[in-house]
Amino acid sequence: MIRSRGAPEKSSIRNPKPRQIAELTFTGERERESQSGVAGHHSTTMLRLDLLLLSILLLSTPVLSDVVLSKVDRRVDLTSHIVRITSTLKVENVGKGPASEVIIVFPERQAKKLAYVTAATNAGKGKVKGPTTSLPVSIANAKGLPPSLEAYSVSLPEPLRKGESISVDVLTAFTHSLKPFPEKISQADIQLLVFEDSAHYLSPYAVQAQSLTIKLPDSRVESYTRLENSKYQNSEIKYGPYENLPPFSYTPIIVHFESNHPFAVAKELVREIEISHWGNVQVTDNYDMVHEGSEIKGEFSRLDFQARPHQRGASAIKNLIASLPPRAHSVYYRDEIGNISTSRLWGDLKKTELIIEPRYPMFGGWRTAFTIGYGLPLGDFLFESEGKRFLNVTFGSPINNIVVDTLIVKVVLPEGSEFVSVAAPFPVTQWQETKFSHLDVVGRPVIVLQKTNVVPEHNQYFQVYYKFSSISMLREPMMLITGFFLFFVACIVYTHLDMSISKSSPSYLAKLQWEDVLSTIQQIEKLINKCLAVQDRLEGSLRDLSRSGDVQACKAARKSADGTLKELSKEVRPLLSFLQASPQAGHILPKVEELVAKERELEDKLMAKHTTVVDCYEKKVAGREVENRIASQQQKIASLRQEVDDLLEFIDEL
Amino acid sequence: MAPKAITSPVPESFYPTLALLMLSVGLVFTASFFIYATTTTRRNLSIAREVTTGAVASVFLGFGSLFLLLASGVYI
Repeated sequence: MIRSRGAPEKSSIRNPKPRQIAELTFTGERERESQSGVAGHHSTTMLRLDLLLLSILLLSTPVLSDVVLSKVDRRVDLTSHIVRITSTLKVENVGKGPASEVIIVFPERQAKKLAYVTAATNAGKGKVKGPTTSLPVSIANAKGLPPSLEAYSVSLPEPLRKGESISVDVLTAFTHSLKPFPEKISQADIQLLVFEDSAHYLSPYAVQAQSLTIKLPDSRVESYTRLENSKYQNSEIKYGPYENLPPFSYTPIIVHFESNHPFAVAKELVREIEISHWGNVQVTDNYDMVHEGSEIKGEFSRLDFQARPHQRGASAIKNLIASLPPRAHSVYYRDEIGNISTSRLWGDLKKTELIIEPRYPMFGGWRTAFTIGYGLPLGDFLFESEGKRFLNVTFGSPINNIVVDTLIVKVVLPEGSEFVSVAAPFPVTQWQETKFSHLDVVGRPVIVLQKTNVVPEHNQYFQVYYKFSSISMLREPMMLITGFFLFFVACIVYTHLDMSISKSSPSYLAKLQWEDVLSTIQQIEKLINKCLAVQDRLEGSLRDLSRSGDVQACKAARKSADGTLKELSKEVRPLLSFLQASPQAGHILPKVEELVAKERELEDKLMAKHTTVVDCYEKKVAGREVENRIASQQQKIASLRQEVDDLLEFIDEL
Repeated sequence: MAPKAITSPVPESFYPTLALLMLSVGLVFTASFFIYATTTTRRNLSIAREVTTGAVASVFLGFGSLFLLLASGVYI
């Protein structure tokens, strides 16, 4: 058995059911250990083999020698299921030329799980920390470096001259790096995880001084690789300080510890963000969630879980906390079955917090799928600058501490948006689709962004730019108006159409004739109403005369009234003769004739009264005299008017 | 140039009031349209009056139903 330096010493794995033989799958290899001295140890054959190859290759490769890391402090945070490593590198240029970049490397296995890498530097020397500026990190060409290593290059703000040094903070986040071991546990067992890394910082530069601190959750540590200068205190394992190590030095260490942090992993998350210019941004998140800790074997006892949740199900996912933006409204939480009522929502000015509990507590290997939806006010997220509108929303999931394997963000823009472009702070794959939603003719443009391996650090704002003319907002009311108008046109067409089947039957002909009679009567009615209106105007002119004493205007009004009335009576005559001729109008004819006659009488009386009053005014007769003279006329006029109105009413009700 | 926030052209708190107002005016015009269409005889129907009443009614009903949809949460 090839032993590379730093062979791990293992204490026995404490387990409620002691086992002689531990079966483990690490890299797909199985090994049975039958030595009674060591009850189970890791099968690292494959691991050690490729580390040996790595070290052989490393020793035979030229190294970049103009930069030296004078001090490296690494902090590994294992408190959640995302492994976050913060490395503070003090880079010193000992070569001849200026150094403009720092190369950081990861072994290929680790690089596949790298979700997020960022670098920053603090300007200022010594204890005074200046403002942090973030540095661009890009994938570097790994030529000249040993294979099975992936390299990233951090560009320094200005090239480092000979003898100068700068401090760079590199933050990396890895997903799926904590392996549950044992892989299957029962409900009462504790969840133990294995983390592997290197005690020496793997770097293409020589490292003068370095130290490593691993922060563990506040539970116990099962075992960890003991090297020189390693100690465990206060839930932290410290390795170091190590001095003057050559480049590419690598010492594998393994930490086996307990963690009850919920391993919430969303296999797929589809976020749909729909914008309506009438005031709302609707976000719908569809989750497909799985618990990726130790799988549960055996049965799940609900009684045990509810009686003692911390002993029977400490590592289960009992609830998830989501931080939604402030002023979120109409929040819903449902799945395929329907609404899930186990949720709580409260909000303040900074955020809206939603605590959701799945329908059952999720144990290892269990899956669930649900949807969270909420609406946001438009003014918080949509802005306009330089003729283009842009939407400013967060990219990732609002749920805290969740890893998303595939994240798809769909931004649905209103119909009529053009020249869509996206500005994102990290690389994403994007393409365009169309969605047909309310009142759509051509469909709404949808820009789809996809990213794999997403951690909460990716929850940053991204912008979608597009052009939209304000007139296009009228498109939707225009569609509704057109719809209603077509309905009215259909009604008009229906009333004008003659849809009877037989055009020559006697009942149909009788109906036609009756319609003619009715229409004639309606026309007569209209004319009589016009006459009455003229008479009212005449009376009005009389009242004006009594107020202003202007006789000439009164006479003029009289003249025009005379003319109109003559015309109207001319129009009435042919209608009346038609009625007299038609047989159907028999029972109404007398009434109509009476109406016309009475109306004419009324006219005459009114004219007479008018003449009297005008004469009186011309002769400057006193007011009371005038009234006496026209008293009887007035009475008759009033009664006649009443009769005319009654007749009109009667005819109306036909 | 600082970006300017875009909001709806009509303040959102007015949506229910506007919906009610426009719909009632629209329904009044619809009623007038139908009364005219049913009480006058076919010969006396004037198309101009029918079409104008229908057009005005459809404008008010269109806007009224738009604001009704917006007020009830279906953001079109």
